[in-house]
Amino acid sequence: MRIRFTFWLVVLLVIPAPLFATMQDETDVDVQVREIAKTLRCTVCQTENIWESGAPLAQQMRGVIRERIALGHSTEEIRAYFLSRYGDYILMEPPKHGVNWFIWVAPFLLLLVGGFFLYKEVTHWVRDTPTPPNQPTPPLDDQARKRIERELES
Amino acid sequence: MIIEIGHFSTIVALVLSVFGMASAALALKTRNPDWARSGRMAVTLIFVLLGVGMLSLVYAFIIRDFSVLYVANNSNSKLPFFYTVAAVWGGHEGSLLLWVFILSVFSTLAVWLHWRTQPAIMPYLIGVESAIIFGFLCLIVFLSSPFERLLPVPLDGKDLNPLLQDPAMVMHPPMLYMGYVGFSIPFSFAMAALFSGRLGEEWIKVTQRWSTFAWMCLTTGILLGGYWAYYELGWGGYWGWDPVENASFMPWLVGTAYLHSVLVQEKRKMFKVWNLFLIIVTFSLSLIGTFLVRSGVLTSVHSFATDPERGLYILIFVGTVIGIAFGALILRSNKLKSQVEMDSLISRESIFLFNNLFFLVAAATVFLGTLYPLILETLQDAKVTVGPPYYNAVFMPIALGLLFLMGIGPYIPWRKASVASLKKSFSTPLLAGAVIVVLLFVTGIHNLYALAGSYVVAFAGMAIVLDFGKISQLYAQRNGSNILQGSLAAFTANQRRYSSMLTHIGVLVLVVGIIASTVYQTEKVVSMRVGDEFTIGDYRMKLTKIHEVAGGNWNAQEGVFEVFDGESLITELRPQKRIYSATQTPTTESAIYAINMGHIFLTMPEVSEDGVTVARGVLNPLVLWVWGGGVIMGLGVILNILRPRKKEE
Amino acid sequence: MTKGWQLTLILTLLGLFALFYQGLWGDPRHIPTVLIETEAPNFEGPDVETGQTISLDQFKGKVVLLNFWASWCYECKVEHESILRLHQLFKDNPDFVMLGVNYQDELPDAQQYLQQYGSTFSHVRDLKGQLAIDYGVYGVPETFVIDQQGKIRHKWVGPITGEVYTNITQKVIAPLLNGQSTPTTS
Repeated sequence: MRIRFTFWLVVLLVIPAPLFATMQDETDVDVQVREIAKTLRCTVCQTENIWESGAPLAQQMRGVIRERIALGHSTEEIRAYFLSRYGDYILMEPPKHGVNWFIWVAPFLLLLVGGFFLYKEVTHWVRDTPTPPNQPTPPLDDQARKRIERELES
Repeated sequence: MIIEIGHFSTIVALVLSVFGMASAALALKTRNPDWARSGRMAVTLIFVLLGVGMLSLVYAFIIRDFSVLYVANNSNSKLPFFYTVAAVWGGHEGSLLLWVFILSVFSTLAVWLHWRTQPAIMPYLIGVESAIIFGFLCLIVFLSSPFERLLPVPLDGKDLNPLLQDPAMVMHPPMLYMGYVGFSIPFSFAMAALFSGRLGEEWIKVTQRWSTFAWMCLTTGILLGGYWAYYELGWGGYWGWDPVENASFMPWLVGTAYLHSVLVQEKRKMFKVWNLFLIIVTFSLSLIGTFLVRSGVLTSVHSFATDPERGLYILIFVGTVIGIAFGALILRSNKLKSQVEMDSLISRESIFLFNNLFFLVAAATVFLGTLYPLILETLQDAKVTVGPPYYNAVFMPIALGLLFLMGIGPYIPWRKASVASLKKSFSTPLLAGAVIVVLLFVTGIHNLYALAGSYVVAFAGMAIVLDFGKISQLYAQRNGSNILQGSLAAFTANQRRYSSMLTHIGVLVLVVGIIASTVYQTEKVVSMRVGDEFTIGDYRMKLTKIHEVAGGNWNAQEGVFEVFDGESLITELRPQKRIYSATQTPTTESAIYAINMGHIFLTMPEVSEDGVTVARGVLNPLVLWVWGGGVIMGLGVILNILRPRKKEE
Repeated sequence: MTKGWQLTLILTLLGLFALFYQGLWGDPRHIPTVLIETEAPNFEGPDVETGQTISLDQFKGKVVLLNFWASWCYECKVEHESILRLHQLFKDNPDFVMLGVNYQDELPDAQQYLQQYGSTFSHVRDLKGQLAIDYGVYGVPETFVIDQQGKIRHKWVGPITGEVYTNITQKVIAPLLNGQSTPTTS
């Protein structure tokens, strides 16, 4: 009885498909697949994630993600699975632990240290430059006017 | 036969480059101008001979001479004619020949252009350029010749990589190389300054147009590359932080720092060592980029085409050039005890220094990110990926800082700025930024990046407009003309400054495009059959049919999508799934429709036999601003280069 | 420039070029695997030639060599002969099993490949690529050695020829079969 019901249900759903335009949309699963796939590297490509890559391996990996979502695995579990198979290499960014912290803080460290040295150096230069202190700067419009005069002359 | 002529000319060019170096050395030693003259002849002849080499290769491609190995590897009897020319630089060997050919063009131009005014520099210029040409020609002639014959002659060629069969690929490599190579001219002048000890401002003034031109070419090349990636790779993005892209971005960053920093030396005669350092780093990064891209040190796991011998040669050559350049800088630097005069931390000089810091940190970040996998592998035997999420995260703050400085630098006086003048110049821009942020927030934009980006863009943009508006007004008052004439007068009176401001505006437009199209990109992937529809954003796409189409060297399944905005049909998009016949390589061809300065971007990644099609729609708001900004930047640079010469130049 | 800056510059350049030099000789195929010393994932799949189901479980307690290959893969052809030789060497040992894993392939192509180049052991088809992903495979050929306890002891990316062949037969498989515990290698 139940089998027959299912059969007719399937027939009813499938047959009219070409006859009526149906609105297709992404399911929550699709969105989740994309979310996960964008963070994983296609291991045989040049810095491409498995969402954007057209390589067969990437396609299969997307399939694996979908299957695991269907089995009820969470995003974190699926990422952890890939990580356990391929190591850090599979992640699109260096994981923030251990020695990798270096590359995460390096840009800001460089900016801070560089900025500090530059600041010290500049103030040092300023101190060593003999200038009449507190020369009143003319207001901007005067300055601009002067610039124009200069430019017109040259 | 023709190809042998090309091969032979290239070998003669190699011999002449040795002669060029020798005559440069003799010119310096004997002080006999005849040697310099013969050096000039050598450089000119190298250009002619390499031109013959290039033409012979072009000819081999045009007649589809598959007995030439390089042609057989990069062309095919069915490859459209248009792309056969692009195929000349579609592979390693040919693109290397293009590199050195452009180098010879620039060297020849530089030698003839500056012959009269810079006689003392000439021997150095000839020597350095010949040496670089020599290095590359050795690589071409001995390790990567595009002129090799193939026996037995294959019936057909293997075809050009389908991804490279694209109009943008015709112009992208030449532009990029013109950028890389263009910096060799200021580099040569800098080396001349170092070797000769004439370390004044002259070399900077003479090469200002060269560096600006090189910078423009590099910018254009990078943007064209982005455009290519955008519609050819089919994922709807234009920048992937790929090692190859990074290799072009690093010299751009340092080159940009250099363009700004030389202004300080021109005006205030300071930071001589620093500018020499910057131009050496810029050109070195061009060379290192060549090494990284062509040696295979950074290639992915399963590209087996690495050739350590070739890589080793490039490394030795690049190492020698860089070693000599920095060696000279270090040896001379003791002589260059610069007499820095700084009146205040709040001055244009100081802002320029911080601008340099930010650019260098940006370059160092890209450098480190690109090399980090290699470093980790060498030291730790571990492998990681440094991909876009990393760069996007760390690059954003640096870029924001740079944009902020861009709003300050040009409008803060030299030497010392008073609090009053600061208030006058920057209170309105600061306010403008705040107003924009509030407005955007109210209209529903809550993304932190978008808001922060909008703030600095509005700030910097307002600063530009305010300054130029004020000056234009003054000119109008003075000449008794209207504001439009006034602004034109202001622009021509100081074309160098205001053309640069135009370039800055281009940067701001570009940044808006980047932020909008990254933060507010929407994407949808659905499986559908003919007759089905899907919506993305405000648009509805209906797949009306799928049919077979064929091009000269490919077959494709083409989907016809009707795009509706509400009930009205706005366009039809036809993405394709192509198979290129010669290599059986599949590609996805995107279909793009421009609307409201943005793009509707559609691809069809999969078409299965039972008629189920996977369609991928992407909305990229304001993405046209990315390239529009690039065009404005280029326009600014052209106006800069074409400005009338002033007396002191 | 002060002495300090000069020194920093020189050291940076030297370090950089040392790194580049080292990088040139680095093997791009060498990927440190995280799977060594971990339980070999079980799998099940049809035999390429007979269609019968093969699973890893049925070889429990034996030393298993898994060789991932595909008919479209050039380097697999390169290693094919030595793979057959390797099987010849150990096939009489009851504790040794060799399994091919056919990866991202069409069945007729795979069957034709085996007919053309010869085969003396069974091959499992990896239908959805799940098996390869379970083993963290990047591409073909890749070879794994699993010990009697079901742990992965060795992995090699690339063809098993020359020195690699000597290493895998003498230093990995032979000691395992003799019941000696070997230093784990990747």
